[in-house]
Amino acid sequence: MEKSDRKIGKLFLVFAGLCVIALPLVVLSGLSYEPKEITAAVVETPSQDFDQSGIAIFTTYEQMSRDYLQGTSTERTLSEYYSRRQYPGSPPYVPHKVEEANKEEIACLTCHAKGGWTEELKRHTPITPHPENIACTQCHLRMTEDKLFVASNWMSVPPPRLGRPYLPGAPPPIVHDLQMRGNCIACHVGPGTVTAIRVEHPSRGNCRQCHVPDSYPTPFQRKSGS
Amino acid sequence: MDITRRSFIKSLAWKSAIAAAGIIFPGVTFGAWKELDQSSGGIEWKKTPCRFCGTGCGLLVGVSSDRAVAVKGDPNCTVNKGLCCVKGYHSVQILYGKDRLKKALVRKNGKMVEVPMKEALDLVAKKMQETIKSHGKDAVSMYGSGQWSITDGYAASKLFKGCIGTNNVEANARLCMASAVTGFLTSFGLDEPMGCYDDFDHADVFITWGNNMAEMHPVLFSRMLANRQSKKHVKIIDFATRTTRSSQAADKSILFEPQTDLAVANAIAYEIIRNKWVNWNFVNKNVSFHKGKTNIGYGTQDHFKFKDKAETVNFKQYKEFLKDYTPEKVQKISGVSAEDIKYMAALYGDPDKKVMSLWTMGMNQHTRGTWINNLVYNIHLLTGKISSPGNSPFSLTGQPSACGTVREVGTLTHKLPHGVVMKEGARKLAAKIWQVPVENIDPKPTYHTVEMFRALDRGDIRFMWIQVTNPMVTMPNLNRYRNGAEKKDRFIVVSEIYPTPTSDVADVVLPSSLWIEREGFFGNSERRTQHNEQIVSPPGDAMPNTWQIIEIGRRLGFKKQFPWSQKTYIEDIWNEYIRFHDTPKHRMAPYKELKERSGVQWPFVNGLETKWRYNAKYDPAAKGAGFNFYGKPDGRAWIWLRPYEPAAESPDREYPFWLNTGRVLEHWHTGSMTRRIPILHKAVPEAYVEINADDATALGITNGSKVKITSRRGSVVMDAMINGRGNPPKGMVFVPFFDESFLINEVTLDAFCPISKQPDYKKCAVKLERA
Repeated sequence: MEKSDRKIGKLFLVFAGLCVIALPLVVLSGLSYEPKEITAAVVETPSQDFDQSGIAIFTTYEQMSRDYLQGTSTERTLSEYYSRRQYPGSPPYVPHKVEEANKEEIACLTCHAKGGWTEELKRHTPITPHPENIACTQCHLRMTEDKLFVASNWMSVPPPRLGRPYLPGAPPPIVHDLQMRGNCIACHVGPGTVTAIRVEHPSRGNCRQCHVPDSYPTPFQRKSGS
Repeated sequence: MDITRRSFIKSLAWKSAIAAAGIIFPGVTFGAWKELDQSSGGIEWKKTPCRFCGTGCGLLVGVSSDRAVAVKGDPNCTVNKGLCCVKGYHSVQILYGKDRLKKALVRKNGKMVEVPMKEALDLVAKKMQETIKSHGKDAVSMYGSGQWSITDGYAASKLFKGCIGTNNVEANARLCMASAVTGFLTSFGLDEPMGCYDDFDHADVFITWGNNMAEMHPVLFSRMLANRQSKKHVKIIDFATRTTRSSQAADKSILFEPQTDLAVANAIAYEIIRNKWVNWNFVNKNVSFHKGKTNIGYGTQDHFKFKDKAETVNFKQYKEFLKDYTPEKVQKISGVSAEDIKYMAALYGDPDKKVMSLWTMGMNQHTRGTWINNLVYNIHLLTGKISSPGNSPFSLTGQPSACGTVREVGTLTHKLPHGVVMKEGARKLAAKIWQVPVENIDPKPTYHTVEMFRALDRGDIRFMWIQVTNPMVTMPNLNRYRNGAEKKDRFIVVSEIYPTPTSDVADVVLPSSLWIEREGFFGNSERRTQHNEQIVSPPGDAMPNTWQIIEIGRRLGFKKQFPWSQKTYIEDIWNEYIRFHDTPKHRMAPYKELKERSGVQWPFVNGLETKWRYNAKYDPAAKGAGFNFYGKPDGRAWIWLRPYEPAAESPDREYPFWLNTGRVLEHWHTGSMTRRIPILHKAVPEAYVEINADDATALGITNGSKVKITSRRGSVVMDAMINGRGNPPKGMVFVPFFDESFLINEVTLDAFCPISKQPDYKKCAVKLERA
């Protein structure tokens, strides 16, 4: 009884110690880069054409500093990510205050094309995977009210399960649609990302060399007679 | 307002904590949505045009377990190339509001009672027969919509015009693009744009005339911005009466006094001639000059009648006429500096610049709507900037099938699917295809929309069937028309998907299948016909509008005219309908082609779409080399001498403000669909009045305080918004009309363009008080 209590106590101490060590690391890594550092490159076609997108992904990667690549902020969770969406892949709402800007098309991209730490929100800014679209408020709205006009029976499919390679140790496939979200680096690298989907090997750059879309549910079948 | 926002942010924090718990406790709902229990987890993607505006974006709807669960832009659709706006991305949520109408309702002793669909349809047919017997065929009417599927409008026209024999068919598109139609007909002799959306990629200059595309046609606006990003010299000029998101994104915002666009357009033409920027090569071959009546009135009184008369004139007379419109003179009435007028004229006049003009309600909802449409065409005709890639006067539509169903099928009192009722040839063709005696089709038009509701109020019309529209929110001078609809001995049938102020005045409510719950067609702004199959099942007894009309037609004894089976009737109607348009000027794509592709443009000739009409290079119907404006008997496009005339009602000492009404990005029309989309309602939960900061200070009004807006017809009290996303100039207020709790149309005026009969929702006089 006593022993196990002591064990728990020890474990707790180790954990607390780790937290104390990790905290400044997180904060420092957050503060150590400037908001100008990267700009997500444009992924041209919203199709599953890996070769073309590869260049944009690689450019985005190239523009990131080492500090950014190693940024390990953990404040953004997958459940928070989905709580801003109406179905997997829907445009998320804007969870912070927005002013009507003079030149609205640049306002959002000042932060969301480049990432970095925002002092006002005490957060790392997530980077948009489609900076080529500059009229952001066309799809992303700020909420001003939490009640509904009429209740809704809306339902959608569960978010995709993560990390399910087809073979043990194989690179997992891409579980989401690539339309508007084809720039892997924008969402999967750096401290502004969701921890659960952050990759540990961003230096590989050419993501779709190993990760391929998992969008055809039926396995290959040879057409009879052909 | 502030308190709500703060408590809302608090509740957001709480919600994200709950969401975070989802990770720790499996089984707790993970996303912002309820998860569908399903075995496979697979989504099947099906194509459809979007349900909202006239842009006609192609969507891919994700389906799982017979429910629509997701949306993405259709990359194969040339309209939007995979991008949507926030309404499109969340459009499928309109199917799932809790108060969806699933059963027919019939008023019994003053209360709406659920009945089987058959009983409701029997009652509708019986009432129609009784009304025709007691008050004549012109006492029954149909009021439809630019959101009608093409087959809905076609079945309605066939039933009312062909079978019953009354021209009492109108559609809400009369309130939305009638001036665009009469503009096209008077200038070119044929309806709908000569160009297409490819023009967005080719143009060097975009001039928007009184439309806020950033909010109303966001996907096309993005296409314009994308062009500007790729070619640095591209300019966007926002010419408008109020500052909006579009003005902010434009290279230059130029404000004008309401109604004076007429004068400015003439001043631009004056400058083009003065500077010798006229493209004489084009004008000599392709243009003729004409004059119409002036001082044409405003139609505010019952039984108003007007018929324009064209008189041919020459260029010299046109030049003489323009002398009243020097930039210096026009500066005085329009508030636009002579310098800015000259700047716009220089953009239009530069032979090296391809220019696109764009407009929607600012020019159409205008008591001189036809005129201002003519005047903008004049500018493009003088410079020859028309019917070629990037040179394009482009009238955008507001509804998904205003073009497809109302303009092409002709669901207006004077129209038939091909031609007008007044023409014997058109009646003969319709009678032949519809298999009805030609005498059935009345050669006299009856009532345009405003007059139809006046007739309902007077008692000339006793029965009205309303489908896919919400006139008890949208009619101008609403008090009169609601009182009319509520009078005894008026029988109102409403086909709807949700309860609305219109279904509130109904005697019978028929539940309708919505959009992807049925097969159908839309036709967008660029002559593109778009097919959707039935993608999910409709709820309860909901029935497609086309089938409702067929059921009534059969009950009225027209079995021969409505012979189709429920399985193939959409295809059968399409095949019958396209016989009306079987010429190279308007040939439609066959059913099979439409089913496979993400929209096909007409004229569809020898398997090819026609992208630019009247230009022999692109249009197989154009004769000779170069241009051929074959819509007019003289083979030319017409330049019109149209003067500036003031608005029907302008601010005065007692009512010192202009009232301007319109939409916001989040809500579409009366909000009966978009307000049931959670994220859209949460973004803009209620209507407000935009007031200029100086006016607000003078009246002691602050942001969020209550303002009473009063006109000679009615009043409404709502929250003030100062320096919001839109900002009217001093002396103007703006109110969006989507909110049924603040019926701004009780305040607006039912004055209309005497040629198009389209009311002006943008201009009337009001006074403001703190409330």
